[in-house]
Amino acid sequence: MELVTAVAVGFLFAIGVFQMLRRNVIRSVIGLMILANAVNLFLLSTGAYDGLAAAYTTATDMRSDALPQALILTAVVISLGGTAFVLAMLYIISSRYQTADMDEVNGLKN
Amino acid sequence: MTDPTLLWPILLILAAASIAAVAGLPALNRRLSITQLSWILALAPLSAAVLLVLRVPQANDGTVFTWQWTWLPALNLNLGLYVDSLSLLFGLLVTIIGTLVVVYAGQYFKGDQSAWRFLTYLLLFMASMLGIVMAGDVLTLFIFWEGTSILSFLLVAYKYQYEEARNGAFRALFITGGGGIALLAGLLFVSYAAGSTEFATILSSGDVLRSHDFYLVMLGLVAFGAFTKSAQWPAHIWLPGAMSAPTPASAYLHSATMVKAGIYLMARMNPALGFTDAWFWLLTIFGGITMLAGAYLGLKQHDLKGLLAYSTISQLGVLMMLIGQDVPEAYKALVIGVIAHAFYKSALFLVAGIVDHETGTRDLRRLGGLRKVMPYTFAAGTLAALSMAGLPPMFGFLAKETLLVTVTNMPPVVAGVIRWSTVLAGSLMLAQAGLFIWETFMGQTKDPDVHGHEAPWPMWLAPMIPAGLSLVLSILPGPKEEASFLAAAAQAAYGTKVKVSTVLFHGLTVEFLLSLVAISLGFGLFVFRHRVRAWQTAVLPDMSFNKLYVWVLAAIDWASEWATRLQQGRLRPYLLIMLSATAVLVFAFSWRTFSVVSLGSWPGLNLDDELDLLRLFALLVVVGASLMSVILVRDFNAILAFGAAGLSMGLLFALEPAPDVALVQIVVDILSVVILVLALTRLPRRQRRKAQEVAVILRYSRWSILRDTAVAGAVGLLVTLITLTALTDRPRESVVTPYFAANAKTLTGATDIVGAIVVDFRALDTLLEITVFGMAGLGIYTLLRHAAQKHGDNRAVEDGEGTAVSDRQATYGISGMRTSAFVRVPAFVSLPLSLMLAATHMMYGHNQPGDGFTAGVVISLAVALWYVVFGYEETRRRLPWLRATSFVAAGVLLAVITGSVAALITGNFLGNVDFTAGWAFMPNGFHISTSFLFEVSICLAVLGGAARMLNSLGHPEGRDRD
Repeated sequence: MELVTAVAVGFLFAIGVFQMLRRNVIRSVIGLMILANAVNLFLLSTGAYDGLAAAYTTATDMRSDALPQALILTAVVISLGGTAFVLAMLYIISSRYQTADMDEVNGLKN
Repeated sequence: MTDPTLLWPILLILAAASIAAVAGLPALNRRLSITQLSWILALAPLSAAVLLVLRVPQANDGTVFTWQWTWLPALNLNLGLYVDSLSLLFGLLVTIIGTLVVVYAGQYFKGDQSAWRFLTYLLLFMASMLGIVMAGDVLTLFIFWEGTSILSFLLVAYKYQYEEARNGAFRALFITGGGGIALLAGLLFVSYAAGSTEFATILSSGDVLRSHDFYLVMLGLVAFGAFTKSAQWPAHIWLPGAMSAPTPASAYLHSATMVKAGIYLMARMNPALGFTDAWFWLLTIFGGITMLAGAYLGLKQHDLKGLLAYSTISQLGVLMMLIGQDVPEAYKALVIGVIAHAFYKSALFLVAGIVDHETGTRDLRRLGGLRKVMPYTFAAGTLAALSMAGLPPMFGFLAKETLLVTVTNMPPVVAGVIRWSTVLAGSLMLAQAGLFIWETFMGQTKDPDVHGHEAPWPMWLAPMIPAGLSLVLSILPGPKEEASFLAAAAQAAYGTKVKVSTVLFHGLTVEFLLSLVAISLGFGLFVFRHRVRAWQTAVLPDMSFNKLYVWVLAAIDWASEWATRLQQGRLRPYLLIMLSATAVLVFAFSWRTFSVVSLGSWPGLNLDDELDLLRLFALLVVVGASLMSVILVRDFNAILAFGAAGLSMGLLFALEPAPDVALVQIVVDILSVVILVLALTRLPRRQRRKAQEVAVILRYSRWSILRDTAVAGAVGLLVTLITLTALTDRPRESVVTPYFAANAKTLTGATDIVGAIVVDFRALDTLLEITVFGMAGLGIYTLLRHAAQKHGDNRAVEDGEGTAVSDRQATYGISGMRTSAFVRVPAFVSLPLSLMLAATHMMYGHNQPGDGFTAGVVISLAVALWYVVFGYEETRRRLPWLRATSFVAAGVLLAVITGSVAALITGNFLGNVDFTAGWAFMPNGFHISTSFLFEVSICLAVLGGAARMLNSLGHPEGRDRD
């Protein structure tokens, strides 16, 4: 399963990066969110052991590792905030340059 | 010996600098004239000088005063002072001449009430300069060193209205600042090799340093710093440019003190780096060229200050040369030369300042005959000029003669070259001294418009004192204290005992004869000065080495232009470069550490295991849906594909099993899709279509697609390898989780370990996180409000594509579309339902899946549905209680209050307290505890932040009631 997970994380990363490199701003935001997914998947799979039951104190079976889960929990929400913020900035860029094409945004220089 | 009062001189001067700055306040500035101010301020360097003099007797006996302040003990970095006779010698020059210059400046700027700025800079410079010569380790030295460069810049550019001043200041800073960087590198090498940044250690580890592999690098870098600071050829060009500073600054910085910093540094480092052939040749060659170039160029100047600047350069070359010689006499000459030059040159500068101040010109071609109207100035100038000329009985004579003595122990050719260059330079200097006095004070005025009158007494007294000192110190028949002080200073620089005598006449020696030759030659040059100067101008009209500086600047400009060509100002190329660089670098440096486990030992995929099969399915969906988001042409479809991928992520989490995460992932995913779609409607379709590349993949942008695929593939491969390494090498036993699992119930009362970690064990993290989330929402609001005001809304420029809607139309739902009752009724129902759901999540979050995050996002989803169904205006009207900003504030505030109350009760911020323990009426399993209240605040903050995002992205130009 490790191999499959690793390859999947790699694929997601590649897709995210590819999307971020698109000229269409909406696509680059989608790329950013796919990257967030990839990272969360990575975090999940770093759990020290594979559990059979949810991480409750009442569980009798082998519990899943609670620590990465707590990390992901916050990461998921934070990445939503970050994405929304990026969207707002893209909106400003598009209204300022009258374009949704990243290549036409050239105000970084000068 | 350790001496905490060592800091006093510097502190005194810093205090004076602050007084000068305070005197700039209008209220004070009106009452206190600059002259009065300068009298008060002069007390500081005066008392500093006294403090230093008091240490002289002990220092003569070889005592070294030290003081240290531990700065960064972990890095073994200290700030320290180290004061021996050499430091005292320079320190006394800095403070004594400093006192005179402050008084003089008060007269020079009389009536100019804005000159407090000048005095502030001057005193700050004085403190830095004192810091250099008293520094006890290389870091302290470097900090003060840079301080003098910066203050020199400020002083040269004091009259910043003039372009000349700005250029001169920039050039000085460029050259000395560049030298400073080299010096820092050199000093770091030295302290690395010596094993300490402290001078005490460095000075005693000379043998280690000299035999070190990097000795030449250290020497080169340190010398580069010292040469630029002390205006050695060819870096000397900044000094004439710095003459656009007000004359008091020129007298102080650019003749007496700052330019001596390089001399001091080399003298200080001599025991550590000196006594090698490289040292000798480096200092002798550069010093010699500087000596000759300065003396030669000085003679052709018409500007009084320009003449003095070049003769200063020449003298600095002499001093640098002396440090290079491995004979005790050289160091004797060095200490005498430093004092002599500081005294006579500052006096001459001050005289030039008086002439300029009283007549309005510094041009030798216009001045003349001033001796009658300015007798005292004339007297001071003549004394100093005699000293500069190297005539007996002045101090300068001693210096010159000692210089001639030093070359006795050398190979004849080298000795001859040095000796005769010295004679030549000496004669040129004599001619310049004569020129200075004669053309200014003697004869008749050359320009009838130039009238002068005597300056007020404090003004002429200021040059008179150093000029007189240079006479007194040499005429007095060798006072014992003076000689032993100079000997001690020379010894500190040289390392072994140096005998210093200040007796003028040693009998009829070769040196004396050479002195006579120099003097006669100088007189000859002086008598034929007009012809010599005309010849100089004719033969080498432009020999100022300024071209070099211009070329260096041009080369730097060219290089930076070339480098910035990469900087296209577009985001995608940056991203491409950064990502490929990261991939290449990580591959290059860590491919060995990737765990390349043999295929056999990989835990294989067990397809009989249903759980694994399900996971495989979920992973496939995640990857496949993400891939679809690339391939699908329409943005809307791509967003939906992304949403599918997110839902499948939720499935993966559920399979872990991680129910809390799965829940949050699913609701957040839906909310993300809603926000993305909202944002999509904000970007005009025409713009997006223009940017649409995927549609034309096969047609024209094939190369860029290939390139992006390659980069993305490389990054993906890298991440795969990293993940694989992380997964195969991870510890099979968690260090922290067992603690959380064991203590969740007892410490927090929660059976949900993940929930316990989020709201209890790591509660502070969560508090910060909800703050960040809320801030993101508020940030979006601010950004979009700003944009809406500044650039107008996108929709205003949209031309008839159907997405443009007015606010009135917006009441009919998103994009002005009428919604049917079948949609509206579920929307009405969903909001209260979501509130109930949220409430149960918060109440039972610590025993069941779900928590405050889920609660907040669920309510936000219901609100989002309202936006879609009823439109912005209608939703705002129907839900007046939805005040996003207040919710964020309330959430964070509630969390802080709860945490503080808990802190009062348990002693831990956000520690677990059950406020309703033992109450009979509570529903089963529900307690109002800190956990619950914290869940509520999380919910509030998330709801507020999310609502803010929905509002702003859905309706950026909207006026808001918050």
